[in-house]
Amino acid sequence: MDFHVDIGPQYEGETIRKDDMYVEFGGPSVKNKFELVTLKSPGEVEHEKVDVIGPDIKDMREGSSQSLAIMVDIAGETLEKDMEPVIERRIHMYANYIEGVYHMNQRNDIWIRLSKESFNKGFNSLVEFGEILIFLFTSELSAIEKIAVTLITDKKKIEELLPQAMKVYQARDERLKGLREEDVDVFYGCILCQSFAPTHCCVITPERTANCGAISWFDGRAAYKLDPEGPIFEVQKGELIDPVKGEYSAVNQEVAARSLGQYDRMYLHSAFEHPHTSCGCFQAVLFYIPEVDGFGIVHRDYQGFTVIGQTFSRIAGATSGGKQIDGACGMALELIRSPKFFQADGGMHRVVWMPQEIKERYKDAIPADLYDKIATEKDVKDVAELGQFLDRVGHPWLKGEVSLP
Amino acid sequence: MTTTIVVAGKGGTGKTSISALLVQVLSKKGVVLAIDADPATNLNQALGVDPGSTVGRIREDMTRDIQAGTLSPSISKPDYLEGQIRAALVESKGFDLLSIGRPEGPGCYCAANNMLRMSVDKLGRGYRYVVIDSEAGMEHISRQTTRDVDVLVIVSDPTQRSIRTAADIKGLIGEMRTRVGQIALVINRSPDGLPPEIARAAEKYGFGSPLTIGQDPNLAGLEIKGRPTTELPADSPLRLGVADLVARLGL
Repeated sequence: MDFHVDIGPQYEGETIRKDDMYVEFGGPSVKNKFELVTLKSPGEVEHEKVDVIGPDIKDMREGSSQSLAIMVDIAGETLEKDMEPVIERRIHMYANYIEGVYHMNQRNDIWIRLSKESFNKGFNSLVEFGEILIFLFTSELSAIEKIAVTLITDKKKIEELLPQAMKVYQARDERLKGLREEDVDVFYGCILCQSFAPTHCCVITPERTANCGAISWFDGRAAYKLDPEGPIFEVQKGELIDPVKGEYSAVNQEVAARSLGQYDRMYLHSAFEHPHTSCGCFQAVLFYIPEVDGFGIVHRDYQGFTVIGQTFSRIAGATSGGKQIDGACGMALELIRSPKFFQADGGMHRVVWMPQEIKERYKDAIPADLYDKIATEKDVKDVAELGQFLDRVGHPWLKGEVSLP
Repeated sequence: MTTTIVVAGKGGTGKTSISALLVQVLSKKGVVLAIDADPATNLNQALGVDPGSTVGRIREDMTRDIQAGTLSPSISKPDYLEGQIRAALVESKGFDLLSIGRPEGPGCYCAANNMLRMSVDKLGRGYRYVVIDSEAGMEHISRQTTRDVDVLVIVSDPTQRSIRTAADIKGLIGEMRTRVGQIALVINRSPDGLPPEIARAAEKYGFGSPLTIGQDPNLAGLEIKGRPTTELPADSPLRLGVADLVARLGL
C-alpha cells in the first residue's frame, strides 16, 4: 500500500506539540469523542470499506480541536466478543505507528494530533487514516478476516452514538470485574514498599489488589510492560497447592526470594498461619477479635477508636513492616469486593465490625442478609457491647450458620 | 538526546528567575520542557504562561477515584496518568510547562509516584532540554524522575547561610538515585562582584569558581507590575548572566 506518510514502530514515542500540530481530535477541550471496536457477523462487514461522516481534515481550520469517533467493525471465525477491548487497544498502538500522528488515552477519552509536517506531505484525509488502520490490523492480526472503519467528525452524530458506546464500556468493565485467578496465567508482584518493609512482597491477582489499593492486576500488567526491570514484576503461579487458602507453589518461591528467605509460604486468602505480609501503606487492616472469633476492618481515614479500643495507627503499627502476623492483614478496601476475600476464614460472613463510612461505601459488596448484622462505631463502643450486639442481631458466624469452604 | 538541567537553591536567591531565563534562552536552540518542581514558587508567572493543572492534583484525583472505586478497572493507571500529564502541560512557543504542585498528603503514594515517574520520564524524552526548577531539598527530583541530571545549577546569594544551603544541596546528590554531570554555582544579587569570604566558602565546600551576577535593577519593576521575568531587557544583568552561564556550561 502506498501512503503519504511512513508507518512503523519507530514513530511510537513521537509527540506532537501544539506548535507543530495541524489539527487535533478529542483531548481535554472536546466532549464528543470515542473509539470502539465491534465484532460483527461476516455479512455485516463490508471488507476494507472506509466511511467518513462529517468534515474531513482538509476542510478543517489549522490549529483547531475537532470531534471524532473511530468505529472499527471486524469479523472473523476465530474472533470472540471478549477480544474487542484488546483489539480496540490496538488502535492506540497503530495510530502511534503513523508518522506525524499521536494518539493518547482510550474509549471516550481519546486525544489524537496530526502534525503540520505530515499534513503537508499529503496526509490530509481521514480516509487515509482509516486505510492505514485497516492495513495494520489485517497485516498484524490474521484472525481478522473482514474489517471496516467509520470515522465520524460530525459532532451531533457522535453525541447520538456516545451513550451506546458508554454502555459497551460499562458492560466490559463488569466482565472484567468478574476476572478470576483461574482465568489468568500469571500474577504480578510489587516491592515498592521494601524501603520500609524489606521482607514485604505484594502479590497482585485479579482477585487481590495490592495493599495500597493503587495497583490492580491490570495496572501490574501495564507497569510491567512499561518497565520490565522495575519494582513491579511477573509472578508465576506454579502448582495450586490449596485453592481455598490461595497457596501456589511458584508464589511461595517468589515470596521466599523477595523476602530474602524470611517467608517461604504465603496464603493469599487467609489471615491465619501464613497470611500475606503487610507493608506500611495499606488502605485498611483486617484484625481478628478473639472474644467474638470474628474480624474487624478499619481504614486509614477512620479517626476514632475501633471496637477493640485501638486507633487505626495503633493497629497498623503492629501489622506493618513486612511481617506475617496471624490474624492481622493490611489490605486494599477494594478487596472487600473480591469473591475470594479471606475465603478460607469465612470471608465477609466472619466480619463483625467496620466503620459506618466503609459499610455504606461497600454496601453493594456486602451480602444483604448480613448488612445489618455487622456492627459499626454507631452501634457499639467496645468488645463487650459487640458481643451483645452480635447475639441480639443473630450474626450468622456466631450462630454457627457459616460453614468454611 | 535530552539534556536535563536542574536549578536548585535556597528560597529568595532568584532561582526561579534564572530558571525562566534559562528556559527562554534554550527554547531558541531546541524545544524545552520546563518543570516547576518547587511548590513555593511560580515558574509559570516568571515565564508568563498559565499555571495549568499540577501533577499533585492528578495524583490526588486518582487517589480519590481509587478510594471511591470509580476508576474503570480496564484502563490501566500508567496509561491514565500519561494522558492526564499530557493534558496538564501548558504548551507555549518553544517550551511546555509541567507543574508538580504540592507534595502528598497522608497516605501511601509509592505506587502513584512510581507510575508518575515513568510518565514524566517518558514525556521528557521528547524534548531537547528539560529544565527543572527545584526546591532546595530536591525531593521531587528523586520522586518524580529517575533521569540523570546533566547539569545541576545551584543558586545562592552572597551570604554564608545561603552558600551553606548550596553545599547541603550538593551533598544531597549522593543520596539520590540520579547521577549528576556538571555542577555550577551561581552567586546571584552580589552588588560588588564576588566577596572574598564567599569565594573562600565556595572553595571550602568544593565548588569550582562561581559565576557572579549583580543586582538586577530592572527586576523589581517587573515584579511590582506582575510582569514575567522573561520580559527583562536584553542588557539586563540577570539576562546577561544567564547567557554567560549557558555559554560556560556549553549548552
